Amino acid sequence: MSLVENLFHSSLGKKVAAKVGLPESPTLRRGRVGPLGEILLAELPGGGVVAATLAAIGVTPGVPLRDTPDSRTPDEKGRPQPPRYERRPGALVIDATGVRTIAALEDLRQVLRPIMKRLERSGRVIVVATDARDVNGLEAKAVAQGIDGINRTVAKELREGATANLIVVRADAQPGDLASTLSFLLQGRSAFVDGQTWRVAPCKPGDTVDADYDPARPFAGRIVVVTGAARGIGAAIAATFARDGAGIVVVDIPAAGDALAAVANDLRGSALQLDITAPDAGERIAAHVAQVHGPHARIWAIVHNAGITRDRLLANLDEAQWGAVLHVNLGAEIAMNEVLLTDRPGGGGLGERSRIVGIASTSGVAGNKGQTNYAASKAGVMGLVWAESAALADRPTTINAVAPGFIETDMTAAIPFVQREVFRRTNSLSQGGLPVDVAETIAYLCDPASGGVDGQVVRVCGQNLVGA
Amino acid sequence: MAEVLYPDLPAGGPLLLRSLVRVGGRPRRVSALPPTVVRVRGHRQDVARLARYDEVCGYTLRDAVSPTWIHVLTFGLQLALMSQRDFPFGLAGLVHVSNDMTLLAPIHVADPLDLSVRASGLAPHRRGATFDLLGEAQVDGQVVWQGRSTYLARGVAVPGEPEPRMRAKDPGVRDSQAWRLPADLGRRYAAVSGDVNPIHLSALAARAFGFPSMIVHGMWTHARALAALEGRLGTTYRVAVDFTKPIPLPGRVGFAAQEDGDGIRFAVRSRSGTACLLGDVTHP
Amino acid sequence: MTERTAVIVGGNRIPFVKAGGAYAQASSIAMLSAALDGLVARFGLAGTTIGEVVAGAVLKHSRDINLTREAVLGSALSPHTPACDLQQACGTGLEAVIYAANKIRLGQADTAIAGGVDSASDAPIVVGEGLRRALLRANRSRTLPQRLAALSSLRPADLMPVPPAVVEPRTGLSMGESQALTNARWEISREAQDELALTSHQRLADAWDSGFFDDLVTPYLKVTRDGLLRPDTTLEKLAKLKPVFGGAHGTMTAGNSTALTDGAAVVLLADRGYADAHHWPALASVVDAQVAATDYVTGEEDLLLAPTRALPVLLERQGMTLADFDVIEIHEAFAGTVLATLAAWEKSGLGTVDRAKLNVLGSSLAAGHPFAATGGRIVATTAKRLHQCGPGSRGLISICAAGGIGVVAILEGC
Repeated sequence: MSLVENLFHSSLGKKVAAKVGLPESPTLRRGRVGPLGEILLAELPGGGVVAATLAAIGVTPGVPLRDTPDSRTPDEKGRPQPPRYERRPGALVIDATGVRTIAALEDLRQVLRPIMKRLERSGRVIVVATDARDVNGLEAKAVAQGIDGINRTVAKELREGATANLIVVRADAQPGDLASTLSFLLQGRSAFVDGQTWRVAPCKPGDTVDADYDPARPFAGRIVVVTGAARGIGAAIAATFARDGAGIVVVDIPAAGDALAAVANDLRGSALQLDITAPDAGERIAAHVAQVHGPHARIWAIVHNAGITRDRLLANLDEAQWGAVLHVNLGAEIAMNEVLLTDRPGGGGLGERSRIVGIASTSGVAGNKGQTNYAASKAGVMGLVWAESAALADRPTTINAVAPGFIETDMTAAIPFVQREVFRRTNSLSQGGLPVDVAETIAYLCDPASGGVDGQVVRVCGQNLVGA
Repeated sequence: MAEVLYPDLPAGGPLLLRSLVRVGGRPRRVSALPPTVVRVRGHRQDVARLARYDEVCGYTLRDAVSPTWIHVLTFGLQLALMSQRDFPFGLAGLVHVSNDMTLLAPIHVADPLDLSVRASGLAPHRRGATFDLLGEAQVDGQVVWQGRSTYLARGVAVPGEPEPRMRAKDPGVRDSQAWRLPADLGRRYAAVSGDVNPIHLSALAARAFGFPSMIVHGMWTHARALAALEGRLGTTYRVAVDFTKPIPLPGRVGFAAQEDGDGIRFAVRSRSGTACLLGDVTHP
Repeated sequence: MTERTAVIVGGNRIPFVKAGGAYAQASSIAMLSAALDGLVARFGLAGTTIGEVVAGAVLKHSRDINLTREAVLGSALSPHTPACDLQQACGTGLEAVIYAANKIRLGQADTAIAGGVDSASDAPIVVGEGLRRALLRANRSRTLPQRLAALSSLRPADLMPVPPAVVEPRTGLSMGESQALTNARWEISREAQDELALTSHQRLADAWDSGFFDDLVTPYLKVTRDGLLRPDTTLEKLAKLKPVFGGAHGTMTAGNSTALTDGAAVVLLADRGYADAHHWPALASVVDAQVAATDYVTGEEDLLLAPTRALPVLLERQGMTLADFDVIEIHEAFAGTVLATLAAWEKSGLGTVDRAKLNVLGSSLAAGHPFAATGGRIVATTAKRLHQCGPGSRGLISICAAGGIGVVAILEGC
């Protein structure tokens, strides 16, 4: 910690920070822990799928208060106030799947207003709406986008670590398709996912959960490969999958082999020292999996976490720095997917039913000064997700990406303090995320019950201003 | 024949020191050696001392002892003999020039030893006179060890002309070992052998006796060479050495040995290749 | 009992570094644990029990009395994994592999890890003889006055520590001085030695660059490659070095002699059936081995040429000749050792070694030589190389050791 940083974290420093308008960072609820307070369900007219989903995950919701003119009471100055929750609710889930008109948006306002200042710390607002493609008429399509604006703003106005996210569902999505997503959003696993919107569709044929599926250990008996896993976010991803029952294969460059071995041994997994840009990288991953787990074993999920930066302003960027970043962050991923998706004689590739997750970045979404190469590679990862999910339409394999914002790692610890503090604070949660936040999101995307989440890029950024 | 019987081995140190300081009163011309025999009966060997001796010399501590160890046991008797009033040579200035021992039967550490020493073989030498101290060890009445230590008394005249002696031959092969001799080696060997001659103990004392530096005991060098041949000696053998050049301490020397039909010839050489000790082991 | 075959499944080592370098603070136990942990991670063995782990060190502290077991306990292996220390000077690593293979073949173990470690940086320093004896005497004393008397016998010189001797106790000659005698006897030229050293560096550098060691080495303490490797050395540079052994006209330099090195290496072995059942790769099988020794004390034989005595016995028993091998590994204690070994094999009628098959991935001159770790390095390298050559390919390993010991072994590619 630098001197400035020490000062900043002292009590005097905190007072000064508060005076100059830097908000105190709330401590986020994390892990497989649900809200403390009541979970409320606002089922707006035409809805229904959310109630069934909550029932499926064992939640019995309460009924939210509504802000209508006759429900208001005057305060001491005589100003009308919305109805007040006596006990702070833990979450408000809004089933807006039936909302098609501008008038119906009023229902959202009615249920949201009383909760804005009463939601518990790390509380949740979850809006479920219907995909604009599945509604008819100009107004309905416009309203669908309007809900997105509501979500993003609510996320910014919520305080004390509370988040808001919007899930758009395809019209024929079933409660089973939505369960893993609602469970993820309600729990602490989604702590640093805020102000985001992503889509849940009906899962593809052959991607339904097995009878022995245990949502608390969803990866029991499954093999998960994580690249770039020697340290930082990669190690956290591996640890999270191991917690949830997976057999772990961690991959990193030979030069990081000692840290990699420590991660593997700690998680009772295995380590593969491999430069993923090697032409036979995919084959070697498959061969390693077959060697450790047997020729009949298949990879359930591969997380393409390995990535490098070679930051330079474009004015100073040469072909080596350009090429290396694109090769590692994007080219290798495309090549490995191709090999692993093809069944090979020796076994060890991705299963017919499987999960692929790439790592995008807010730099890829919004661009970032000094990171042309990195932004290209990370935007490319998003493009790959969209294209490859379409290509895999007939196979029960999903491909998604996460886009981390400012995450506290060894790499970000190297950023000068003032700059780092600005990065940390310019999001709705007033803090940097932790590697585990990225890991939890990836694990959710890889959940056997997340077959309906495909071709999505989920930002884990605390609703960072960058690229919002 | 006069016989002096000691109850046990006389301590070498006091005898040696007394003899060294007694310079006057010895004849410059000698024609005969007294017929005295000095003797100890039933000497019980000290295992702890043997262990220290073996360690200093590089021997493996084992029940069957080396002939050089028996020599060390007789050293006190040698001094006792030379301290007799009628012995014509003082110890100061005596040089141990060669040694010849025969192990007639294996001697074990548990064997009580009857040890005796007498003088013999007075002979002219180009630098003075030589004489032999003949040692003998018996176990149960059987002679098991015989030793002949030849000393040179410089500047002493005896009747007759010096005769050329047969000297041990160089083995004629390259050094196969290198020994590093630490500065305290003389003190360590003195402690186990009883030979506390100051020329082995301190550089200052050595210079007082005319040496440029401390030198190691010749019998250490002999013992170390025999230790290097351990395993190739057999149970009975004769070993003869010539001390051809003093070895300064601290120092480094090479060792060479060559086996042929007659036995083993060996040499300890200085770094420049000069022989300091030449010897051979034969099986008579 | 059905026929059992001991196969080498894989290996792992930490990069070797010069003594006093990056591992100067690392103990033998720590380095061996690191090598084990890398192997465990590679094969996903964390928490599992291995039949036996056998390893050793040449320079051994008295506290390392149970070195291998301590390293196992410090590793990710199950604490139920038994261990055994074994020591045969520089033959330790290979002898450990032979021990493990024999146990597997006899059905006394299904799996085993064999290897070795050495730290020339952390070599044991012993107290002088005077202090040692005084302390022992004081320890035996019953009363305080006795104890004080024992300690008062100490002299200042007794307090000087004594570093471990790197000389043969029976000849007083260091390895290098012994090899200098051998070089003179076999007329090994400076040029031939320098050429061999250069080849070793070039081949090891190529092997690193090609990624050959990606699954054989795990970095340790920020070291990712062998620290003694000089990929850019040249004959000219080697020719400029001053002789260090054999006098002013000696032919042995720091360039064609191995340096004191720190490192650790281990090899995973298993019964063939067990390996197949557990989908472990079988790189090569351990076919046979032979140990022999020379009568170097007399000066009539060479300290480091015992493989010349071991090899004829082994070849005779297996009905093989030198021409039957696709890979030949002769430990490069000194460049002269390899050249004299080749000359001696030739002279004794064993035939000529095709230099293109010799130490093809570099050897100790370039990698360094942490005494007991060298065997594990060579076995793992040879096994992987034979696996690349294909089933039925044959490899010969020859290691010379202090005390005039030589170990040779035959591996067959799977």
